[in-house]
Amino acid sequence: MPGRNEILSALAKSALDKQPMPVIDIAPNMQDLTGQFETNLAMVAGTLHRDATLELVQEKVNSLIAEGLQVLSLVEGVTGNRTLPATPHELKDIDYAVISGELAVAENGAIWVTEQHQHRVTPFICENLLLVVAEEDLVANMHQAVTKLTLESGSCGAFIAGPSKTADIEQSLVVGAHGACSLGVYLV
Amino acid sequence: MKIALFIPCLVNQLMPDVAVATLELLEKLGHEVIFPKGQTCCGQPMTNSGCYNEARNTTMKLLNSFKGVECDAIVCPAASCLVAAKENFHEFDDSPEAEAVIAKLYELTEFLHDVAPIPAFSKAFPHRISLQMSCHGVRMLGLASGSEFMGKPFNKVEAILAKIPGIEIRYPERKDECCGFGGTFAMDEGAVSAKMGKDKAWFHANTGAEYVVGYDPSCMMHLDGMIRRQQLPVQTRHVAQIINAAL
Amino acid sequence: MSHSSSATHAQQAEIFCRDESRVDWHSKALWLMREKRDRAAGSIPEWEQLRQLGSEIKLHTLTNLADLLQQFEANCQANGIQVHWARDGKEHNQIVHEILARHQVKKLVKSKSMLTEECHMNPYLEERGIEVIDTDLGERIIQLAGQPPSHIVVPAIHMKKEEVGDLFHEKIGTEAGASDPTYLTRAARQHLREQFLSADAAMTGVNMAVADKGAVVVCTNEGNADMGVNLPAVQLHSMGIDKIVPNLDSAAVLLRMLARNATGQPVTTYSSMYRGPKAGGEMHVIIVDNGRTAMLQDKILAESLKCIRCGGCLNTCPVYRRSGGHSYSYTIPGPIGIAVGGSKDDTNSIPWACTLCASCSGVCPTKVPLDKIIHHHRRLKAEAGQLPYGKANYMPLVGKLMGSQTAFNCSMSMARGALKILPGSLLKPFAGAWGKYRELPVAPKSSFEHWYKNNRSE
Repeated sequence: MPGRNEILSALAKSALDKQPMPVIDIAPNMQDLTGQFETNLAMVAGTLHRDATLELVQEKVNSLIAEGLQVLSLVEGVTGNRTLPATPHELKDIDYAVISGELAVAENGAIWVTEQHQHRVTPFICENLLLVVAEEDLVANMHQAVTKLTLESGSCGAFIAGPSKTADIEQSLVVGAHGACSLGVYLV
Repeated sequence: MKIALFIPCLVNQLMPDVAVATLELLEKLGHEVIFPKGQTCCGQPMTNSGCYNEARNTTMKLLNSFKGVECDAIVCPAASCLVAAKENFHEFDDSPEAEAVIAKLYELTEFLHDVAPIPAFSKAFPHRISLQMSCHGVRMLGLASGSEFMGKPFNKVEAILAKIPGIEIRYPERKDECCGFGGTFAMDEGAVSAKMGKDKAWFHANTGAEYVVGYDPSCMMHLDGMIRRQQLPVQTRHVAQIINAAL
Repeated sequence: MSHSSSATHAQQAEIFCRDESRVDWHSKALWLMREKRDRAAGSIPEWEQLRQLGSEIKLHTLTNLADLLQQFEANCQANGIQVHWARDGKEHNQIVHEILARHQVKKLVKSKSMLTEECHMNPYLEERGIEVIDTDLGERIIQLAGQPPSHIVVPAIHMKKEEVGDLFHEKIGTEAGASDPTYLTRAARQHLREQFLSADAAMTGVNMAVADKGAVVVCTNEGNADMGVNLPAVQLHSMGIDKIVPNLDSAAVLLRMLARNATGQPVTTYSSMYRGPKAGGEMHVIIVDNGRTAMLQDKILAESLKCIRCGGCLNTCPVYRRSGGHSYSYTIPGPIGIAVGGSKDDTNSIPWACTLCASCSGVCPTKVPLDKIIHHHRRLKAEAGQLPYGKANYMPLVGKLMGSQTAFNCSMSMARGALKILPGSLLKPFAGAWGKYRELPVAPKSSFEHWYKNNRSE
């Protein structure tokens, strides 16, 4: 590749002096992580269900199904009324997806969600998203989160902070752009 | 202390009252004040336009007027000119004589806050003022923390003026947004400059202050022109004039 | 397209300023973002520490870029990602087209990427029969309107909701006269769902490329990047060489500041990391230079590559807010646009679309010294003989006048005299832009020098 070598050799002519990597040492705010998380999740338009159990999640799913909605659950111990289709495109009519989160971040309400089956699009294409996270997997900030998250070779993951949203028309916040229109978080 | 005045060309020619107030207040504070001859423009209009060659002569002429002058400090009642003088002196002359001049350069409020604080004011100034926190003083000279800064806030100008009996200090909306002068910007980008100046003039007037008070004469001249065009019930004053009136 | 004309920034800005109520509306909308940023940043006690870290991480990265890029490339390949290198925009577009053509792609969905704007990729692909759908709502709005973005984070910030309503009515069949943002956003959601579901390939920009993982980080609020990338088999990610970060610890520092500084949110809704293709799919990363290595060879310009494209400098810029994004000749407007586009500005005017107030530098999360870079661009333009606004003619005269005290004093005393004697109506035309917008200074009796001679000199 001529481009590659040319770019790399041009970089040798940089005018900047070498700089060392700084030490990142920021004391986390460990006070009331659940409270911090709840406040920040609300700020990003998500809803927290504290002290939840899988039974409680199942009850919610049952009531959704009773309303005639399509629910897909990827959480062990919670059963919906849909199973994984062959192609990701067939997920387009899922009303609710129930997915487990690996980490929850107190400082910004984000939840780390990894690829859990062959369709990466599930948490994004569903109309509404329910995330189930263990309270013990709550961390203070992003510095802690990145040391704990898993991101296997060949996979993907995402920090999800609330439902999808936009403010592209006159700065008016509208929840529900292209991804999920609502996010409920069950802290178990 | 023995103080040499650095009076920028604009102040010398168009706002001599600011220079007189600076001289008088420093004398009232017990300093010996001199005014070295041969001062001219610091070169800022040229260097801010990228024209370094065109700035060299005038910058060097100004620098030379201070070289070898016996004094403890060189004090200037114009923040932007002071910043430009420092930078341009460095740019064109790296001699020890130039360094000696640069080391003594102070903006007036910087001097009155950091070097020789005012012990007490003897007269009241029972008026509401709106402070004009001009950009170069804030973001280059550190007279106050900028509104962008999230560390511990400070404001040397307010700290000095707040000690004047009876004074009431206010700030315009968007506290330290640029007034739109910007040197030749006022001519090059007339429409935007004027809109910035108009907004700033109104924000000051909206505080209900009698005086807009600032430390940068060029911004004050621009605001004064804007205020009079808008016929707003407020007048511009330089900090030196307020301090001098209270001593 | 206003931005492609050769009019100077001052000329474009003067047109924008004619509608003062619109200027006020625009300025206020952006200042609101600045205020949200202040609240978000102020809620983090270690904010200034983060900025310092952000700056140092980016400087470390820029000064070790060749190593980090190669590390990134090797790790990507180990993860099954195909890596391409492009020296300029044209090469980038060719690489993208070659990949798309190989897969017989007819429709490409794209999330926000200022790099593809910089490379003018959309027209290149469209000329070759590939439909490109911008999927960010703001980007879709301006794509339908046939305009360039006016802001790097909120690209349609210059449009009023009524204008978006009319546009959507014409282009995607919303009700005539409807301008409610929620209604319009819902309509766009339906319209773009169809595009996502029928796309043959997806493309995104890259917010960060993590060298030690071989992964790209893509941040959106709408979820359009993830909806796009995760449906079709082929996904492409274009990145400038400056997007590299050494590791996830570095990414965490920048992610903590990016959204807070952009819109005041604690984090973007989606911060997605792709470390390999989906099962049965292909993932391509295109690494682009397009003038960046040249910038690195100038010590001052180099620091502009620390930018993480939060747009905070646009929101605070008093000139940008009052002149609009389309008044700048470069694709990226505002302070960072001047910094990275100053050398490509054939109007030779954008470095002067700035009062050097330095608010941008104070707001920047990676401490890019924007005002110093803009100042430097002026010097480079002067040295290249490319001064605007008649400066090449009058600056030498001013320099000469100021350098000669006698001539200066003489002319100033004449000016003072003129200010006193002549009526304002006669003077204003001579005072040009000053007198057009402001009253002329009130002339003092004499200079300070004169006063000093009479009152203090022995």
